[in-house]
Amino acid sequence: MVEVENCIRELGPGVRFHCEHFSAAAGDHVALWGPSGCGKSTLLNLVSGLLRPDSGKIVVHGTPLHELSEGKLDQFRGEHLGFVFQTFNLLSPFTALQNVMLGMRFSDTIPHSECKPRATALLERVGLGHRLHSKPKTMSVGEQQRVAIARALANKQKLILADEPTGSLDPKNAASVMNLLLELCDEEQLTMLMVTHDRVLAERLPTVFDCSGLVKEVAR
Amino acid sequence: MSLWYIAWAYLWNRKITTSLTILSVALAVALISSVLSLREEVRRRFEEESQAFDLVVGPKGSPLQLVLSSVYFMDSATGWTPLEDYEKIKADTDFVKAAYPIALGDTYQGFRLVGTTRDFFDFTWLHPVTNEPTQPFVLQGGEYFDAPMEAVIGSVVARRQNLKVGDTFVSIHGSFDLGDMAEYSHEAHPYTVTGILEPSDSPFDRAIYVDLHSVWDTHSHEEDHADTEHHEDEHAEDEPAANPLDTGEIRAADEKISAVLVQLHSIGHRWQYEEWVNTNTNSMAAIPVQVVQKFFNQFLEPMKAVLLAVGYLVVVISALSILIGLYLSIIQRKRDLAIMRALGASAFEIVGAIIIEAFWVTALGIAGGWVLGQMVTYGLGQYMAREYGMVITPFGITMDEIRAFATVGIVGIVAGILPAWQAYDRDVAHDLADRN
Repeated sequence: MVEVENCIRELGPGVRFHCEHFSAAAGDHVALWGPSGCGKSTLLNLVSGLLRPDSGKIVVHGTPLHELSEGKLDQFRGEHLGFVFQTFNLLSPFTALQNVMLGMRFSDTIPHSECKPRATALLERVGLGHRLHSKPKTMSVGEQQRVAIARALANKQKLILADEPTGSLDPKNAASVMNLLLELCDEEQLTMLMVTHDRVLAERLPTVFDCSGLVKEVAR
Repeated sequence: MSLWYIAWAYLWNRKITTSLTILSVALAVALISSVLSLREEVRRRFEEESQAFDLVVGPKGSPLQLVLSSVYFMDSATGWTPLEDYEKIKADTDFVKAAYPIALGDTYQGFRLVGTTRDFFDFTWLHPVTNEPTQPFVLQGGEYFDAPMEAVIGSVVARRQNLKVGDTFVSIHGSFDLGDMAEYSHEAHPYTVTGILEPSDSPFDRAIYVDLHSVWDTHSHEEDHADTEHHEDEHAEDEPAANPLDTGEIRAADEKISAVLVQLHSIGHRWQYEEWVNTNTNSMAAIPVQVVQKFFNQFLEPMKAVLLAVGYLVVVISALSILIGLYLSIIQRKRDLAIMRALGASAFEIVGAIIIEAFWVTALGIAGGWVLGQMVTYGLGQYMAREYGMVITPFGITMDEIRAFATVGIVGIVAGILPAWQAYDRDVAHDLADRN
C-alpha cells in the first residue's frame, strides 16, 4: 500500500529529512511516533504528496507519487487519501454536512446525486446526525474531529493519514475519537498512518514506526 | 457545491469587510453611472427640445446664449433685434411655416416672462422620438390671453407659485436675484392670470406667456431704471395702451424683440435659411439643435471627461480595496486553503475560487452602483424638472455605461489576480503545520 524508499528532502539550510525505508501493507494501522521535530509529519506529508522528495521513491496504491505532476497529485489525494488533522480541521463558512460534501466535491469518485445522502450517512455513523447543519464554531473540538473523520472517508478512501488527531482533545474525547477512528478503519478495512508523539497512544496501534533520526543536521 | 458557492460562502463569512468593499466599488460605479446617465439624458432631452424650432433669430452675438435664452428660457436674453426682421422672416412663406416673436427681460419669482403673440399658442411640432404632432400649449384651465397685462402660465409656475386663474402678480425687471426687488418691480402693472397650461415636460412649463405689448410697455421704464432715476409714480399714472390684439397690430414704440422662433417647411432648409438671415437682415440666425450639439461637445464633454476620470480613479481605489481585502483574507485562511488542497482541490480551483470572489464583489458593486447611480440621476432629474422643466428618464442603460461597467469588472477581476496568485503559490504542507 505505502512504500517509501531512500527518500531525501532538504528542509532548510543544513537540515535534511532522510527515510531509507518505510512501508505499510493494506489494512495496516501504523503509528508514526517520535519526539517533536523528528520528521514524522514530514514523512506523512511526503506520503500524501503535499511535499515532494528531492530524491527517492514514494509509492502509494501502486502509484509513484514522485513521478506525478502537480495536477495528478491533487487528483490522487482527493480520490485515495483521507486526512484528519490535529485542529482547525473544518472550513468555517460551511456546515458539518457541507464540510463532508466538500471532500467529495474535489474528486469525481462519488456521483453528484449520492453526495448528500452519503455525507449524511457518514455523519450519522460518527454520531453527528443531529449536527448536520451546524457550523464548526458552534461545535466542540471533539465534534469537529468526528466531522473530519467522516470527511476523511467521504470518497471511500483506503488510506487515512492522521496527524496528531487527538492532540487538542481532553482525555475523554481523545479516547472516544481514537476508538471511533480505529473502529471505522477496521470496519472499512482501511490503512491508517497516524502521527503522534504520545507513546501510549502509538502503542494502541499494531505497528509503531519510530521516526527518531529521520531529520538530521548535515554538514554544508 | 460549485466554486461559485464556495467563493460566496467565504465572502459571506466576512460580511462587514465584504460589504465595505462592495460599497466602495458601488460608489465609484454610481459616480460613473450617474455622470453617463445624466449626460446622456440631458443631451437627449436638450436635443429633442432643440428640434422644436428650426431656427432662432436674434441679435448678433453668442448663438449659444440666444438658444439657451429663447428656447430653454435659461440664460439672459442677448439684447434686442428689430421687429422688421421678424416681419421680413414671417413674410417669407416660401420657406417659413411659422415665425413667433418673443420678448424677454422680466421675471416673476424667477420664472421668465415671455412676451409673444397669440398665435404662439397654436405652435405644433413633430416630436423627433414619437414622430407625432406635439402641442405644448394646451390649456388645463382658463383661456389664452386676449389683452395686454394678461398672462398664461406654465404648469410648473402655477404649481410652484400656487397661482390660479384670476390671480394677479407683479413682475420685476431682469432675473430674480438682481437685488432690491422693490426698486425694479412693476407694481403699477400687475398681470392677471387668464390661463394655465397642461404640463408638457419641457421648458415651456416654466415660463409665463404674456402679450408682446405688455413687455414693451413695462420695458419702456427700463431705461429710466438704468439711469438710476426712479419714476415709479409716473409709471403708475401710465394708461395702458389700447388693445393692439384687437387689430392684429403688434408694433409699438420700441419695435424690438428678443428673438424670433422659426419653423420652416423643411428641415433641409435650415442651413440655407440661416445663411439667408445672416446675410439679409440685421439679426443673427442659429440652428438650435446644432448649437446644442456643439455646446455639448465643447463644454460638457470635457466636464464629463473630468468627472469620469474622478470616477475611474475611485474605481482604481476600489480595486485596491478588493486586492487588499482578498490578500488579507488569503493570509487569514491559508489553513483553509491548505485543507482544500489536501482534500484534492487543484491550485487552479483555488485560484478560480479567489477570482470568483473578486468577481462577486465587483459584480455586486456594479449592480449596487448602477442602482445608486440611477437614484442619483432620478434625484437630479427631479431637480432638473423642477428648475428647468426638463424631465429626464432614469432607469436606463447606455452603451457607454455598459462599456464603463465592463471596464470596472475587468479592473475588479484583475485586482483578484494577485491574491489568487498568492493562494496558488502557497506551501501547503507548511500552512497545514502552521497552527496560527
